[in-house]
Amino acid sequence: MRALGFAARSLVRQPARATLGILGVAAVGALLFDMLLLSQGLLVSMRDLLEHSGWDIRVSAGDLPGRGPRVQNSLEVARRIAALPLVRSTLRVRMADAQIDRPSSTPIRAAFEGVSALSTTGADMHPPWTVTRGREARGPHEVVIDDRIAAALGVGPGGTITLRASCVSDRESLPPVRVDVAGIAEFPFAVSDEDAIGGTFEALQTACSGNVGDDADLLLVTSTGDSNETAAAIRTAVPDLRAMTNAEVVGRLQQTGFSYFRQISTVLTTVTVSFAVLLITVLLTVSVNQRLGEIAALRALGFSRSRVVADVLSESALIVGSGGLLSLPLGLLLASVLDRILKDMPGIPVELHFFVFESEALTIHIVLLVATAIIAALYPMRIVSTLPIAATLRAEVMD
Amino acid sequence: MKVNDNAAHAVVDARGVSRVFAMPAGPVVAVREVTLQICGGDHVAVRGPSGCGKSTLLHILGCVDAPSSGTLLFDNQDVSGLSDARRSRLRLRHIGFVFQRFFLLPMLTASENVELPLSEAGVGKKERQQRTRELLEYVGLASRADHRPSQLSGGEMQRVAIARALANRPRLLLADEPTGELDESTGAQIATLLDRVNRDGTALVIVTHDSTLASRAARVLLMRDGRIEGEQRR
Repeated sequence: MRALGFAARSLVRQPARATLGILGVAAVGALLFDMLLLSQGLLVSMRDLLEHSGWDIRVSAGDLPGRGPRVQNSLEVARRIAALPLVRSTLRVRMADAQIDRPSSTPIRAAFEGVSALSTTGADMHPPWTVTRGREARGPHEVVIDDRIAAALGVGPGGTITLRASCVSDRESLPPVRVDVAGIAEFPFAVSDEDAIGGTFEALQTACSGNVGDDADLLLVTSTGDSNETAAAIRTAVPDLRAMTNAEVVGRLQQTGFSYFRQISTVLTTVTVSFAVLLITVLLTVSVNQRLGEIAALRALGFSRSRVVADVLSESALIVGSGGLLSLPLGLLLASVLDRILKDMPGIPVELHFFVFESEALTIHIVLLVATAIIAALYPMRIVSTLPIAATLRAEVMD
Repeated sequence: MKVNDNAAHAVVDARGVSRVFAMPAGPVVAVREVTLQICGGDHVAVRGPSGCGKSTLLHILGCVDAPSSGTLLFDNQDVSGLSDARRSRLRLRHIGFVFQRFFLLPMLTASENVELPLSEAGVGKKERQQRTRELLEYVGLASRADHRPSQLSGGEMQRVAIARALANRPRLLLADEPTGELDESTGAQIATLLDRVNRDGTALVIVTHDSTLASRAARVLLMRDGRIEGEQRR
């Protein structure tokens, strides 16, 4: 009987201890797995979100797209960017606060995204939302709305809504305007606690009674080739603005807000791994100490030191391996619950996830569990490897 | 290292071996300059009062403890310079141990317990199973092969332990109080079995307080204060 089979029998011999160890590792492993998913989840999710939007480069006046001052003379800027040979298309995006009237109830607050496209290649451009019902909004009197607004107002494609937007100041008092609902759309960048409306720049002008001006919050650019080269060309063309590729945006977020999650996950990962090591070390040490006589007898019968050490290591590997296997479904379940809770925080885009499965996280999880099995077994392995055979046999008889 | 002298026929040859334990109150000499030869087919009993060094001598002869001074030859080979791994291999191949408390592994069946040393020695599965069947038949427990130790009586457990000790056909079988945990009748059965093992060619050294068991041996060594004070031959 080899070490692994021997270890399996040892575990079966003490089912309570084995169950405790496996469940302990499963619980700790689930937390560990979640921390690994969290450590990269936001970045991976944001990267996916940016890449799936179809836009390579974001041009803004501030450090991060959509934050800070607006891009002045955005139409002229968009034309200069669109004229660059590496640029396929440019989309100006202007955000505004809007209120949608509803009968006998408080108005719905929403973010209005107005967009205006420039294409040098005639390529088909899509706005930063996806129409799920109806069609795209066109012209100055059509918008698309999100599902929640549609449900709250009971309107769908072909219906109308009354809204007032604030494009310059929160204290504007603009007359309400009626616009047609062309479709229902998903707004992946809309935050979870805010509803969203989308339309053309002209539609936003209509809602703001012409007060939009020529400012844009950001410009979205698609390139014909390498996005880094295109971003560099844009920086040369409009040196006052910041042009960031998707990777640069993710990198920037990694350095700023998202780094907190990474730090938290690193601390919690360390704590969970330490707990797992302590748990297994204690269980194995107790088990080994209860079997010192048997181990000494095996050594007397000719079992080598490396063999009894391998038995202990195999036992550790079986406990951690079984618990680790259980930890994966547990961790995924826990991650989905935690993700729902965290996404309810204000200011989080609806399509952004905190916990994202990546094969790299699974690999690190496995590596950490293997390390846990080895480190946890070090002390009990030392006990059996340095066990004085004769003294132990003598002590067992004395007992 | 092979030693060529007139003791070449001895399985184990202790020459002036002593064993001193360092204790907080000062060194304790458990075995004092014992010179002893155990030859193939010998049946030796070691008697003496508790604490006189019988078990320590047995452990030295079985290469699980090293003498503080003196020389121990096993099969004419000085074992003092052997690494732990080679000593383990020596014990596995050539020495069998029977303990007072049996030390069978409770999670394994009788046949699995017997099979363990064979497996450790790298014996193939088919041969292991064949040898295990033979050994359990030899000790009269063929029908209990699939029973775990908890399902066996004390005498049956000791029989399994003897079968396990014989698994790799050792030249020397060492038994430390093999009847110490058994009633008189069961002890007599174990003594009969050990006699048979010896008759079949295995050198046998038994440490015991049991005068009946000791009286079956061809040589009885009397120990006191770590010394062999006398030897009775039958």
